Amino acid sequence: MGAKGRLTGKGPDEYRLTMMQQKSPALAGLQAVLPLVLGYFPIAFSFGVAATRSGLTGAEAICLSLIVFAGASQFLAIALIAGGAPVLVAGLTLAAMNLRHVLYGPTLLQKAGADRATRLGWLWAFALTDEVFGAALGALVKGQRFSEGFMLILGFGAYAAWLAGTAAGAWAGGGALDGWPAVSAGLDFMLPALFLALLLSILSGKQVPVILIAAAATVAGTWFGSATLGLFAGMIAGAVTGVSWPSRETSHAG
Amino acid sequence: MRAEVLELALIAGALTYLWRYLPLRANLSDTAPNGLLARFLAATGPAAIATLFVAEMLPLLQAPLAQQGRVVVGVLAVLAAYAWRRSVVFATLAGACACGAAAALGLS
Repeated sequence: MGAKGRLTGKGPDEYRLTMMQQKSPALAGLQAVLPLVLGYFPIAFSFGVAATRSGLTGAEAICLSLIVFAGASQFLAIALIAGGAPVLVAGLTLAAMNLRHVLYGPTLLQKAGADRATRLGWLWAFALTDEVFGAALGALVKGQRFSEGFMLILGFGAYAAWLAGTAAGAWAGGGALDGWPAVSAGLDFMLPALFLALLLSILSGKQVPVILIAAAATVAGTWFGSATLGLFAGMIAGAVTGVSWPSRETSHAG
Repeated sequence: MRAEVLELALIAGALTYLWRYLPLRANLSDTAPNGLLARFLAATGPAAIATLFVAEMLPLLQAPLAQQGRVVVGVLAVLAAYAWRRSVVFATLAGACACGAAAALGLS
């Protein structure tokens, strides 16, 4: 423990919180982006492989990652392109799949409290994916102060990993993982592992009802409708549960 | 590069960007800490991450039963690794490695 912790008489938790709040945006951003880089590169590699296997050129795969930067909808784009879907219909379908992202910015700003800032929001919002949102939220819950520098490093670090992974996968080609089923299985589990780890990082007993309702609604929406409906149902049902639960139960929730 | 792929990327990319950016312009500074909107947004984070985890798991759990062993191994590895080190990086890598190792050992 450093001198400040001793002099102010803080307990271990308070001291850890203070140290996290004092960490520079650059250092905090680099620390938070590491799991995203490690998770994004292999998934993007899989995307590049899948895209070239489905007949897209390497340039087309990279173009999708460069402009869209939304993992799940990019995999869907491969299927839509390969299936010959009309461009406008396919574009709107992909955009609809990403509509859940409207909740992410306000949620982070609400968590930022007095530190909220949006001067560069037009820039860091571009990279506000599911995983970047989850990592940012996890850091804020642990005491990291919000800053736009932190968001830029987090978002564009993840973006760089996504582009590099896509390029590597496209370069490797469509059959790159055919002889490596164990590697393929590990890559397939990378995103679930990342989301589970992020969930654990923000988990507290107060949020259990929100999480359980969100999970149940996701299963029901997917089962009776589609994967996209399941995503919407889970997020909205969980958030509504947070509203309807007694306020003391969610006032500190992520 | 085919023009239709570029058009698709531009339509999907532009709208996705608007979903992410436009809500930032909403002024939330005068939101009551325990008001409906604040509670909705506070619950959105855990709800979103739980939803995304379940959405990622469902296709894996719809695979043949023989293939689900490696998923169970991966989940257990994430839980154990996070309990041990409290690190998202370590837990993510441990889960993926355990799942891949289980597949290599025949749980696939």
